[in-house]
Amino acid sequence: MNDTSPARPPPAWKTFLGSAGGRALLALVLVMAAGAVFNADGAFFKIGTHRDTLRQASVYGMLACGMTLVIISGGIDLAVGSVVALAAVCAAKMAIHWNWPAWEVVPVSLVIGAGCGTVAGFITAAWRVQPFIATLAMMVFARGLAKYASGGMKVSTAVQNADGTYRYVNVPGLFRAIDHRILGGNLSMVTVIFIICLVLAWLALSRHRWGRYLYAIGGNEEAARLSGVPVIGAKACAYAASGLFAAVAGLCQAAQEQQGDPEAGAGYELVAIAMVVIGGTSLMGGRGGIGLTLLGVLTIGYLDKILSINAVPEAGRLVLTGIIIVAAVMTQRRNRK
Amino acid sequence: MAESSSNQPPLVRMSGITKRFGQITVLRDVQFECHAREVHVLAGENGAGKSTLIKILAGIHTDFEGRLEIDGREVHPRNPLQACALGVAVIHQELSLIGAMSVADNIFLGRTAARAGFVKAVEQQKAAREWVAQLGLDIDVRQAVENFPAAIQQLIEIAKALSQNARVIVMDEPTSALNAPEAAKLFALIQSLKARSCAIVYITHKMEEIERIADRITVLRDGQWIGSAPAAELPAPKLIQWMVGRELGEQFPRRVPHRGEERLRLENFSVFPSGLSGRPSVDQISLSARAGEVVGIGGLQGSGASELFLGLFGAYGSHTSGVVQMDGRPSRFSSPRKAIASGVALLTNDRKATGLVLSMSVTANATLAGLRELSPCGWRNPARERAVAQQITAPMRLRAPSLDAEAGTLSGGNQQKVALSKSLQTRPRLLLLDEPTRGIDVGAKREIYQLVDEWTAQGIAILLITSEMPELLTLSDRVIVLHRGRITAELSRSQATPEAVLAAAMGQVTERL
Amino acid sequence: MRKQSIQILSVGFALLAALLAGCNRSNSNAPQAKAALHYTIGMSQCNLGEPWRVQMNEDIRTAAAQHPELNVIFKDAQNDTLKQRSHIEELVSAKVDLIIISPKEAQPLTEPVARAMDAGIPVIVLDRALLGDKYTCFIGADNKKIGKAAGEWIVKKLGGKGRVVELMGLMTSIPGQDRHNGFREGIAGSGIEVIFEADMKWLEPEARKEMESALSRFDRLDLVYAHNDPGAHGAYLAAKAAGRENIIFVGIDALPQEGVAYVQQGILDATFRYPTGGAEAIDTAVKILKGESVPRKVVLGTRMFDKSNVADGGAAMP
Repeated sequence: MNDTSPARPPPAWKTFLGSAGGRALLALVLVMAAGAVFNADGAFFKIGTHRDTLRQASVYGMLACGMTLVIISGGIDLAVGSVVALAAVCAAKMAIHWNWPAWEVVPVSLVIGAGCGTVAGFITAAWRVQPFIATLAMMVFARGLAKYASGGMKVSTAVQNADGTYRYVNVPGLFRAIDHRILGGNLSMVTVIFIICLVLAWLALSRHRWGRYLYAIGGNEEAARLSGVPVIGAKACAYAASGLFAAVAGLCQAAQEQQGDPEAGAGYELVAIAMVVIGGTSLMGGRGGIGLTLLGVLTIGYLDKILSINAVPEAGRLVLTGIIIVAAVMTQRRNRK
Repeated sequence: MAESSSNQPPLVRMSGITKRFGQITVLRDVQFECHAREVHVLAGENGAGKSTLIKILAGIHTDFEGRLEIDGREVHPRNPLQACALGVAVIHQELSLIGAMSVADNIFLGRTAARAGFVKAVEQQKAAREWVAQLGLDIDVRQAVENFPAAIQQLIEIAKALSQNARVIVMDEPTSALNAPEAAKLFALIQSLKARSCAIVYITHKMEEIERIADRITVLRDGQWIGSAPAAELPAPKLIQWMVGRELGEQFPRRVPHRGEERLRLENFSVFPSGLSGRPSVDQISLSARAGEVVGIGGLQGSGASELFLGLFGAYGSHTSGVVQMDGRPSRFSSPRKAIASGVALLTNDRKATGLVLSMSVTANATLAGLRELSPCGWRNPARERAVAQQITAPMRLRAPSLDAEAGTLSGGNQQKVALSKSLQTRPRLLLLDEPTRGIDVGAKREIYQLVDEWTAQGIAILLITSEMPELLTLSDRVIVLHRGRITAELSRSQATPEAVLAAAMGQVTERL
Repeated sequence: MRKQSIQILSVGFALLAALLAGCNRSNSNAPQAKAALHYTIGMSQCNLGEPWRVQMNEDIRTAAAQHPELNVIFKDAQNDTLKQRSHIEELVSAKVDLIIISPKEAQPLTEPVARAMDAGIPVIVLDRALLGDKYTCFIGADNKKIGKAAGEWIVKKLGGKGRVVELMGLMTSIPGQDRHNGFREGIAGSGIEVIFEADMKWLEPEARKEMESALSRFDRLDLVYAHNDPGAHGAYLAAKAAGRENIIFVGIDALPQEGVAYVQQGILDATFRYPTGGAEAIDTAVKILKGESVPRKVVLGTRMFDKSNVADGGAAMP
C-alpha cells in the first residue's frame, strides 16, 4: 500500500542526523572542534590529554552504563554516588587494613554494590515505590553505611595503632594494578575497565532477552506484563546491575585515590544521568542504548577537559556546562517527529 | 435518510490534496466536499488515508499540497487551535482527553476561562454542566475524566466539540466504545446537530451504521479518491466493492465447525479485580470450550467479559477463585507468564494501552511473549526473531515500511495485526480474543475470519469477545452471554439471533442449553 | 497493600529506634560512675562530615581526658543551622557549666549564644566567628596567615624563583579565599610565577584532574601548592603516574592521619597545620571554670611539617 511515489528519499545524512545517535555524535564533534580551536598551546593534541580525559571520565562512565539500564526500564537511580563511596571504603578496608587478596576484595565489593542495588530495586519493583524515592533513600542509607564503616575518616595507608601512632602499609597490589597505564603509558587501566563495563552492558541490552524486557517495561509496563515479561525480576535486576557498576566504579575510585573516602562520589549520580541524557536515551524509558551513552560520556568528558586545560574559572565552567547540556537535550527533542 | 442541502455551496471543500510522509505518499489528489445539515460518511479500508485527510482538515498536518476551503474561503490553519477557530472539531478514534483532569477542565482546555490568569472554576463548571446535559449526561463535572467509563468519555469529547461551536464535526469511529443503546443516543444527537446546520463527517467501518445515518458517502482507497455519492445510490455490496476494488460475493464466509476434546473447563470461576475482599467482576461462572471451537462471549459494557479473560490469563494474580482446568489439568494461573507457558494467549482490547509497546519495532513486539522460548540461555538470536516475525505476520497481510519500523508509526489496523501476531506467536492452545477486529477494515476482517478458521482447524480453542453482532454470530459456534458478571444465556448457533443475544446481554435470563 | 505498608513502617520505625538508641549511647560521654565529676561542658559541632571536625572533637576528647573533673557532652548538628540552634537551647536548659561551639554560620547562632551568656553560661567559640562580642572567648586560626607562611616557605624552598601550580579550594568559601590571598601575599615581590591555577573544590579527584591538565600543558613546573592535603595528594598521584617525580608538593591542614602521614611517607614535601583549637578550648575552659580571666580572642599559630621535623611534631610558625 505504501506505493513508490516519485518523491525523492531524503539524503542518507539527513536521516542519520535526525536520529538520536546522529545528534549525539554531532554534539561530540562540536565539542572536539571547540577543543581543537581552544587547544591551550597545543595541549589538546597531545595523546596524554586524551588518555587523561578518558581516565577522568571512566568512573562516571561506569555509573552511566548502569544508569542506562535503569533509565531504559523507566526508572532512575540516585544512589550510585553513595554506593561508590561505600564500595571504596569497603574495598580500602579489606585491601589496605585487612590485607585481603584481590580475589576476595573484588567479589565482596561487587556483592556489596549489587546488594544495595537489589534492595532499592526490590523496593521499587515489588512494593511499587517510585524509583526516585526508593533510590534517594538508598542514597542516604549507603552514605551512612560508608561513614559508619570508615568511622568518618578516610581509610588510607596510614593505619592507626592502638597507642595512637600511625604505621604505614603499602598500597595494595590490586590498587596499583588498577591505577596504572598500559600501551606505553598511553591508556589508563580504568579506561579498559570502563570499556569492559560498556561491552557487558551493551551485550545485556542488545543481545540478551533481559535487555529486551527492559525496553518493553520502559515502553509500556502493562503491555509487557501482559506479554509475560517478568516485570518485577527484570526491574530489580536493572537496579542490581546499577549497584554492581557503582561498586566497580568505587573500586576504581579507591585505587585512584589510594584510599577509601566515605565522602566520595557526591553528586556523581547527576553527572551519570547527564551523560545518559545527552547521549540521547530518553528519561521516559523504552528508548536509548549503550552506544548513545558512550557518546554522552565522551561529550561531557571532553568538555570538562577542554575547560580544564584552558584554566577557565569555575563560574564560567558551570555556566558553559549548563548551557551545553540544555542545548544538547533540546536538539535531541526536536528530532522526535 | 434526511434531506441534505447539496444544492447549496459546500461548507467544507478540499481539492487536490496530496500528502507525503517522506517517501510514502499517503494521499494523492484527493477531493472532499461536505455540506451543512449533512452526515457525510468517509469510508475506506485501513490505511486508505481517511485519518490523514481528517488531520489535514483539523490543522494537525500543515504541510500538504492542495486547497482547503471553509465556507468558500481558502484557509490555512497552522495548528489545531486555528482549525478550531474556523469551526472544525474532531473527535478522534483515540480519545484526546486528559485523564487526570476534571471534565470541566477538559472541555475548556485551551480556552480556559480566566481572569488575570486565575481560572474561573465555578463559571467553567456551570458551562460544562450545561454542555454535557445537552447530551443527556448527568455527571459531576468536577470529577476526573478517567473515573468515567469509555462510553461516557466519548460523550464528553463530543460535548467538548459542541462547546467550541463547531460547524464541522468530524467523528472517527465514535461508537467503538459504545454499546447499542449508547450508539442510538449518539445517532439521535447527530440528527439534532444536523438540524443546527452542522456538517458531520463520520468515519466508520460498521455497515449497519452507514446504512442507518449516512446522507452521502465518499470512498477512499489507497490514498486516492474513488467516488462520492448519495447514500441511496450506494447499497452495501456496491460500497464494499468501491472500498476493496473487487466484488465481495458473500461478505463473511460461513465457519465450518471443528470440534474436538474439551480444552477448557471453568467451574464457579470468579474474578476479583480489586482484591479478594472486593466486588467480583465475574461471579461464579461455569463454562467449557472444546479444541477447535469458537465460543463467543456476548455482553454489553460492564458485563465482565474482558475481566473474565484477564482473570483467566492470570493478569489479576491470585485474585480469582473457582476451578479452572485445561486439558484436564488444574490451570488457575497467577501470572500472565504462567498462562503463556501453559499455552494460553490473550489479545487485549486496547492495543495502545495494554497490547503493544509502541516504542519497539514490529519484530520486537511480535516476539515479546515468546521471547523465553526464542532465546535459549537468555541470548537472543535476532535473525531467528526476524524470521519468526516474518512468518507470523505474513498471513495477516501486514502493511508496514519494514519489520523494524516502530509499532507506533503504524496505522491502527496494522497495529492490531501486530498485536494479533504476538498472541499467535506462542502457539497457544487456548486463544482469548478481545475485540480482534477493532479498527480493521472490511477486507482485512475477512482475512482474520479465515485465519480464525485455520486456527480452529489446528485445534486451538478460541474464546471471542466482540461488540460487532454480525461478527459474533458469524464466527461463534456457541454464544455465551454475560450480564454483570453472570451468565444469562447459552445459545447454540441456531438459537443465537441478534435479538436473543441482546436481550440476554441486557439481563433477561434464558434457559441454559 | 495495606499490610505491606504496615510492614514497611514497622521495619522503618525499628531501624530508627535502634539508630537513635545507638546515637544516644555514643553521644553521652563517660560513665556516671566517677563521683568526682564537677563540670559538664556541652560541645556543639556543626557537622562531623569533615575529617577536620572529627579531629576537632577528637582533640577535645583527648584534652578533656587529662582533666577527670570534666564531662563533655558532644552534639552533632549535621550541618543544619536550626538543629544547632536547638542544641544550644537544649544545653542551656540542661544548665551545663560551659558551652563550646563551632558554629555553622555566624548570623543565626549569635542570638542563641547571647542568651546562653545571659543565663550565666560561658561560651567558647571555635573556628568560625560570631557577630558582635557576646561570648566569652573566640579561638581560631587565621587562614590568611597560614597561606602567607606557606608562600614564604615556598619562596625560600625554591630560592626565590620558580614555576608554581596553585590548586585552590572552593573559591566561594572564606578559607579558600584566605589561603589564596595569603599565599599571593607571601610570594609577592619574588620571582615565583603561578603558571596555572584551578579550583579543585577541596576534592582529591578534581585536583588530580586539574593537575593532569597542568602537566599536559607545561613541561616544566617546579612546585604544586594545594589549599588542602587531599588536593596535594591527588596532584602527587597525577604526577607520579606521569613519571614527573621532581615536583615539590605543599598542602595545608596537616591532620595526623592525612597530611602529616603524607609527609612521613614522602608524598608531600611540606604541610601546614590548620589547628582545630580543640586542646586550646579545653585549656581555656578549665581556666574559665576556675574563675581566671581569659583573652577575648586567641589566634592560633600554625605548625609546619616537613621531612626534617615531622618526627618532632613540626615546627611552630609565628
